[in-house]
Amino acid sequence: MCCSSSIARDKATMGEPEAFDISAVKGMKFFDPHVHMTSRTTDDYQAMADAGVVALIEPAFWLGQPRTGLDSFRDYYSSLIGWERFRSSQFGIKHYCTIGLNSREANNESLAEQVMEILPLFIYKEGVVGIGEIGFDDQTAAEEKYYRLQLELAKEAGLPVQVHTPHRDKKKGTQRSMDIALEHGLDPYQVIIDHNNEETVKEVLDRGFFAAFTIYPFTKMGNERMVEIVKQYGAERIMVNSAADWGISDPLAVPKTAALMKMRGLSDQDIELVTYRNAITAFAQSGQIDEADFNAQADLTEKFEGNTILRGGQQPRPDKSSIIIS
Amino acid sequence: MNAVKEIIWSVINNNINLEAEKWLEDFKQSPDQSLQVAKVFVMLPRKTGKLSVAINEDQQKALDTAGYGYIRNWTIDRLSRVWLLSNLSLPDKEQLYSTLERLFLSAEVNEAVALYSALPFLPYPEIWVKRCAEGIRSNIGSVLEAIMENNPYPAAYLDEAAWNQLVLKAFFTEKNIKLIVGLDERANLQLALTLVDYAKERWAAGRQVNLQLWRMVGRFINAEIFEDLKIGLQHYDKTEQRAIALAVAESECQPAKDYINTFPELKLALADGSLNWNSL
Ligand SMILES: [Zn+2]
Repeated sequence: MCCSSSIARDKATMGEPEAFDISAVKGMKFFDPHVHMTSRTTDDYQAMADAGVVALIEPAFWLGQPRTGLDSFRDYYSSLIGWERFRSSQFGIKHYCTIGLNSREANNESLAEQVMEILPLFIYKEGVVGIGEIGFDDQTAAEEKYYRLQLELAKEAGLPVQVHTPHRDKKKGTQRSMDIALEHGLDPYQVIIDHNNEETVKEVLDRGFFAAFTIYPFTKMGNERMVEIVKQYGAERIMVNSAADWGISDPLAVPKTAALMKMRGLSDQDIELVTYRNAITAFAQSGQIDEADFNAQADLTEKFEGNTILRGGQQPRPDKSSIIIS
Repeated sequence: MNAVKEIIWSVINNNINLEAEKWLEDFKQSPDQSLQVAKVFVMLPRKTGKLSVAINEDQQKALDTAGYGYIRNWTIDRLSRVWLLSNLSLPDKEQLYSTLERLFLSAEVNEAVALYSALPFLPYPEIWVKRCAEGIRSNIGSVLEAIMENNPYPAAYLDEAAWNQLVLKAFFTEKNIKLIVGLDERANLQLALTLVDYAKERWAAGRQVNLQLWRMVGRFINAEIFEDLKIGLQHYDKTEQRAIALAVAESECQPAKDYINTFPELKLALADGSLNWNSL
């Protein structure tokens, strides 16, 4: 009983497409500290670059279905520091990542054990700006065990921690994540608590942690609510991200939120803090972020003078408005 | 090679601080390097920084003479990593191989660039042939450049099939062909035939051909290739025609030479010697 009515998609439930006007934030630059580019297309990279995203962080996460062996974890981590980093550079976006064992897969204990053994191989790599995303999903004992072990790893390596908070029973899960981080002696200023909402933000900020907000259609934060949060709590230690992944999500969530903030009267300074600067401040504690690298594209010609070929494999732009593909 | 390594060390020395120098020397003196090499290799940019190297005139001259002048375009972390890899003291060939193979398997982009850049400096050159051929299968631009451009290892050690793959892929991925070491020396019939096919595909798609391609075809022009060249000479622009003419001039194929002479402009350019591969 599928699709029998017509090829035309059902506008009533799927909605009309909308154009997004970036002009309100033209010339601003953005940093998306949580986006799973492995699941995204080159169109997304192009659109992000056009909208002013100059750098991003891709946290290691779940791929949509569980991995069954150690090698698929190894290959995934390798792709975050290899192929995906290169793909991003082709669009002039500096790609960083965080490395960790995600909460869902912590529940496969025999595999989790092996993953813990290879993590130290990856966390000292260039451009690895933290341990993440780790934390709770179902809030099981196994999740807690591997969360704690990875907090210890972060402490040893002096890396920030990117904490995924659960969708279900979020408030308690968030409190518990913070309690445990403090129990392990982490400085809250080195811990980014992610996927906050109106119910969690106050305590996260009061206890000295960074509070990240995921602007994600239907299930997480909407950006109108986000504007209100910044109005209420100020811009200190707050950052927004898209967490765009394999689900219906929006890789332009950060620039769009900035545009909305501008239209709703927030100051340029506050917008810059929550869509760029605070994320850099938090994750640069890894020693792995150099803003000079964001504009690496610009000096390509200088560096390889006399060579007209585009270096670094930058991608030319196809003409999307044309029916002709050449 | 030891003289080259010494110059490289002197360059590194001029480009890092005392702390980094001591850190590298401590590793070099350490009794069991196999335990530490992975960590030292990965952490290295944190100690050396990542700036482009500054090289003085004497060093540059010495490197030019030895055929390694190109390292002036490297960053200090890349140069230091290459130096580190080329100075490893491990008990035997097998240990060296397995140690490096592990580094290759978990390499991030800059690490992979350094690893492939190190190939010409490693002992037992014959054991890295497969690894080098594997590197050519990469799709990461900077990794390919590290293998294809200014790297003397592939021309010296790859078999013909792998070499041809390198050249072909360099065209496909738009690398700077002029920077491939050993291009003329390793030209061969099989490669010439493949490249002509590639040119015909490009023509059919209405795309241009990198002119350096004809440089690898000239010496192998036979009756069959000549027929294909005619298409290029009849249908494509002046620069393409000049490149083909230059290739024909390097060939032994008299009918092709006669044919070129029917184009007054090409005949003249060849006669006055103004055409060469670098000016194209
Ligand atoms: Zn995520």
